[in-house]
Amino acid sequence: MTAEPGDAEIRWQRPSRLLLRARRIQTALVTVPVALAGGIIAGTAGSAGLGLGIGLGLVVVGLLCERFFARRVAAWGYAERRDDLMVKRGVMVRRQSVIPYGRMQFIDVTAGPVERSLGLATVRMHTAAAASDARIPGLDKADAAKLRDQLASLGESQAAGL
Amino acid sequence: MAAWHRLHPLSPLIRTGRHLVALGILVLLLIFANHSGNNDDFISDSVVVGIVLIAGVISWLVTRWQVADGVLRIETGLIRRQSLRFPLSQVQAIDVVQTGLARVFGLAELRLRMAGADSSGGRLACLPLADAERLREQLLAMGHAAGQRGAARGAQADAMVPSGAVGPAGAVGAVGPDGAPGPASAAAPPRPERVLFRVQSERLAGAIILSRPGAYAGTAIAVVILVIVLTGKPGIIVPFLVFGFGIVTSVWRQFNTEFGTVVAEAPDGLRLRSGLIQTAAETIRPGRVQAVRLVEPLLWRLFGWCRLEVDVAGPRQRRENRSEGQRLRALIPVGSRADADRMLGELLTNPPRPTHPAPAGARVKTLLSYHFLAWADDDRYVVASRGRICRKTTWVPLEKVQSIRWVQGPWQRRLGLATIRLDVAGRRVTASVQDRSVAEADQLLGQLPDLARAARARDVVS
Repeated sequence: MTAEPGDAEIRWQRPSRLLLRARRIQTALVTVPVALAGGIIAGTAGSAGLGLGIGLGLVVVGLLCERFFARRVAAWGYAERRDDLMVKRGVMVRRQSVIPYGRMQFIDVTAGPVERSLGLATVRMHTAAAASDARIPGLDKADAAKLRDQLASLGESQAAGL
Repeated sequence: MAAWHRLHPLSPLIRTGRHLVALGILVLLLIFANHSGNNDDFISDSVVVGIVLIAGVISWLVTRWQVADGVLRIETGLIRRQSLRFPLSQVQAIDVVQTGLARVFGLAELRLRMAGADSSGGRLACLPLADAERLREQLLAMGHAAGQRGAARGAQADAMVPSGAVGPAGAVGAVGPDGAPGPASAAAPPRPERVLFRVQSERLAGAIILSRPGAYAGTAIAVVILVIVLTGKPGIIVPFLVFGFGIVTSVWRQFNTEFGTVVAEAPDGLRLRSGLIQTAAETIRPGRVQAVRLVEPLLWRLFGWCRLEVDVAGPRQRRENRSEGQRLRALIPVGSRADADRMLGELLTNPPRPTHPAPAGARVKTLLSYHFLAWADDDRYVVASRGRICRKTTWVPLEKVQSIRWVQGPWQRRLGLATIRLDVAGRRVTASVQDRSVAEADQLLGQLPDLARAARARDVVS
C-alpha cells in the first residue's frame, strides 16, 4: 500500500484501457525485430543454440518491459477540479502535478501511428514554465477533443497574466 | 497613423561588425600570403566583402518600424518579408545594448523581451543612443498604461482579464499618436533615479577568482606552469591552448558583463546597467519578477559575500549568454549580505526566511545537503533553500506559480519523504521544497493551489 498524496475525495479518471494495448503493440514492435536480429546474428556468428538463447533472452526482456508499462499505465490518472487540473503518473518516481486552468498557455493533441490505429490521442498542456509537464496519454479520440475544448474554455475564463 | 521610421544608416556596419572585423583580418592575411601571387584572389576577396556590405545595406533599406496603437511594428526582409507586431502591454523588459563598435559611433540597440520561451523578441539595431533611451522610456510608459487599462477593465467586468487581452484596439490610441519618437515629440526629462546597489570592482574580481570558473582558470594556469617547469618544453602545452582559451574567455566574459553593475530604482521599474566594453541597460518592470535567488558559494561565505539573481520571463537574447543558460540575471553579481537583504526588501515585501528544516528522516538520503534544506511560506511567497556546499535560496511569489508538482523517488518512498516543486515561467527556475515528510508534502499540495489562487486574485485587484 502506497500513500496517495492529496485529499482522498479526488475523483481520478484513468486513460482508456486501449492504452495498455497500444503500449503492448509498441513493445512488441520493438522486441520482435530486435530479438530476431540478435538471434540471427548470434546464430550465424556462434552456434545455433547461442542464437536461440539470445533471441529468447531478448523476448524475456521485452515481456518484462511489458509488465513495467502495464504498471505505468495503471498509475496514470487525471482529475479535473474546480480551478485546476491534477495529473499523476509514474511507478518508480511518482509525480503529481497541479496546473491551474488560468496558467495554461496552449494545449496540443497528438497521436502516433499506433495510437491512431486504436483511436487514441495524447493531450498535453503547456504553461509558461518549461518544467511543468502535464501529459495525459491514451485518451479516446472523442474524449481528448472534449477535454481539450473544456480545458481551453476553462483556461480562457480564468486566464491570468504572467 | 504614426509615421514609419528607419534605423540609423550606420546600422549595417554595426550589425555585421564582428563578422567584418574577422573578414578584414582574413582578407589582410590572404593579401599578405599571396603577395607575390596574381590579383585574382584580391578581386574575389573584395567581392565577398562587397556582398556582405550590400546585403547589410539592403536589409537596412527594407527595414522600418512604427509605434501605433500600443503596438510596435517592425517590417523587414526583402525576399521573405516579415511583419512583426509587439503588443507593448506584453513586453517583459526592454534592454539597451551597446556593443564595442556601436559605442564608437554612439549607437545602441534596443531589445524587447517578450514572455515567449523561445521566440527571439524584437530588436531595433541600431538607433542613436539618445533616441534609444527615449524610445525605451516611451515604450515602457505606453506598455504600462495599456496594462493598467486592461486590468481596470477586467476588474470592471468582474472577470480576470489578462493584461494581454487588450487587443490592438485597446484604448491606447490616446498615447499612440504622440508616442512616436522624433524631434517633434516632447521628450520627457529623465526622471530621478535612486541608486540601490553598485558593485565594487575589486570585490567582483576577487569573487570571480573564487568562483567555479575562476578556480578552473587558476588550476589550468597552475598546471600549465607546472608542466612547463617539469618538462622544460613549453611547446608541449600548445594542443591544450584551445581549452585554456575557452576558460579564459568565459571568465573574461563574466567580468565584462558584470563589471560596474548599477541597480537603480526608477518610476518605470528597476534599472540595471552593466558592462565594461559592451554595455547593457535593462529595465525590469515591477511585477515582472518571477523568482529571486540568493546564491552563496562556499568560498564566498568566508567573506560574507553572496549573489542575488532574478528571473524575468522570456529568454536571454544575448547570444553570449546562451552557454550559461542556467544563470539568471544578476542584480548583485557579488555583494554583502546586507546589500542582498536590502535588495530583497526592494523586490519583495517582507520576504520570509527559510526556517523549517527538513525532517530528521531525510538525513540518511541527503547526507551532504541536509544542513541547507529548509523552507518557509507566508501568504505571498514560498522560499526554499538547498545545496551541498553552495547554498541556493529561491523565493517565488505565489501569484507567479505556474504549476505545482509532487515528486517522490524510490529512495524517498522508503524513507517516507516527498518533494514539492513550484515552477515559474522562464528557464528552469523551480523552487524545490525538498525531502519533506509525506504528510507535510500532501498537506502542501492541498494548500498551495488555493494560496496561489488567492494571491493571483489579489494581484489582479490591486
